[in-house]
Amino acid sequence: MSVRWDPDAAVEEMYAAHYRRLVRLSVLLVRDVETAEEVVQDAFVAMHGRWRSLREPDKALAYLRQSVVNRSRSVLRHRGVRARHLPDPSHEHPGADVEALTAERRTHVLDALAHLPERQREVLVLRYYLDLSEAEIADTLGISRGAVKSHASRGTAALRNHLKDAR
Amino acid sequence: MNQPTDNERMRRMFDDAVSDVEPRHSLDQIRARTATRQHRRGWFLGAGAAAVATAATITAVALLGEGPGATNAPEPGVAEGSVEPVEPVPVFYVGDTGQGPRLFRELHRVGTGSGVLPGALSQAVSASPDDPDYRTPWPAGTEVVRAERADGRIVVGLDLPGDRRLTAAGVGAEELIGFQQLVHTAQAATKSADPVRIVLDGQRVDTLLSLPLGEYPTQGDPRAQVWIDQPAEGEVVRSSFEVSGLANAFEANVQWELMRGDQVVKSGFTTAEECCTMAPYSFTVQAPPGSYTLVVHDSDPSDGEGFPPWRDTKEITVEQ
Repeated sequence: MSVRWDPDAAVEEMYAAHYRRLVRLSVLLVRDVETAEEVVQDAFVAMHGRWRSLREPDKALAYLRQSVVNRSRSVLRHRGVRARHLPDPSHEHPGADVEALTAERRTHVLDALAHLPERQREVLVLRYYLDLSEAEIADTLGISRGAVKSHASRGTAALRNHLKDAR
Repeated sequence: MNQPTDNERMRRMFDDAVSDVEPRHSLDQIRARTATRQHRRGWFLGAGAAAVATAATITAVALLGEGPGATNAPEPGVAEGSVEPVEPVPVFYVGDTGQGPRLFRELHRVGTGSGVLPGALSQAVSASPDDPDYRTPWPAGTEVVRAERADGRIVVGLDLPGDRRLTAAGVGAEELIGFQQLVHTAQAATKSADPVRIVLDGQRVDTLLSLPLGEYPTQGDPRAQVWIDQPAEGEVVRSSFEVSGLANAFEANVQWELMRGDQVVKSGFTTAEECCTMAPYSFTVQAPPGSYTLVVHDSDPSDGEGFPPWRDTKEITVEQ
């Protein structure tokens, strides 16, 4: 269904409904909050520019998602070598209070994700964080459903391994 | 109580991992950036170049002495229809293919005369191709500061944003295809095959990883081998519409499908004008109103043994 938003209203509505979740999505992919904020801002600016061809909130959300994933990937590729040499989390020993343990647990998950191949990470994040179906993931990433399936199962296994190692 | 399923446990773990992320409020910044776009588009159209809307473009043009202060600039805010139509030029972007990142192109209207080269380059390095499958390989904030053609050579100067200095050690596939993107965009904008010299942050780039990059006839073919030129991404078309583009397809055989989700609504094939080079193809599709994905690809002579076929896709809407 089309809504009668102009591009400015569309940005406001979509921002109110989805900004935080999209930034979190990007954090799962690029790890760094500031970069994620930039990525999502860029995605909103791009959505504004092409609102005339989107016109529907559903389409706009699909576009934002895709745009955030593509831009996050692009940022990671620019980081290149650096991203592949993350500090080994097992050498960090924060204090044993609850807050530190929680932070540590979260860091482990982000670290483990960062060690996965690009496509596996993207598929897992779309599946478990955004709860997208196989077909939606295939659309978002422009790959076949079969590829989604195989990235998901390999990625899940690899993620479990990384999490085990980090413990 | 039931044990949570594995899926449920994974979901909770992902949720938890970013549950403490509270992003800074940035609606104001987004508004400022989209407002700037529209405002700038206003005077830019007035200067005789339709539909150019990036800050980087403005920088490049201003350097050529055609900024808002130029005496021959007409009044700002001239409506699109009253501007002399501008011929679209190919602007290249990077998309992922079965053989790695490759160049695709979009036809953009970027300006006239001496504005075409800086306009096209600025669109190439700015972050917003229409097709979400494509991207610019340059970091956000990259600006075109030189775009000249003289003495049989094109010079392209870029300033990268502060924290992203390109060093020989930092060059990866993304940067290499970035150079190719500049070369192809510059040559298409000038309709020439002139060598392209690239200047990054004021430094002439001659070699990186021992590849000669300064004067740059490209090595290998960085282009994807199937492109859809029309319709454009997101375009609204009539129930009978023409699809055109370029393809280098096995035996010049170009195949297409019109998809709705996973379902093939229409399909067919055509022949490009020539084989074994990027050659024009076109065909007409008739379809009932609705939203579709148009897929154009070459055939796979190896039946799945070799690289996956080349393909390009566009999301389009057939109007009521």
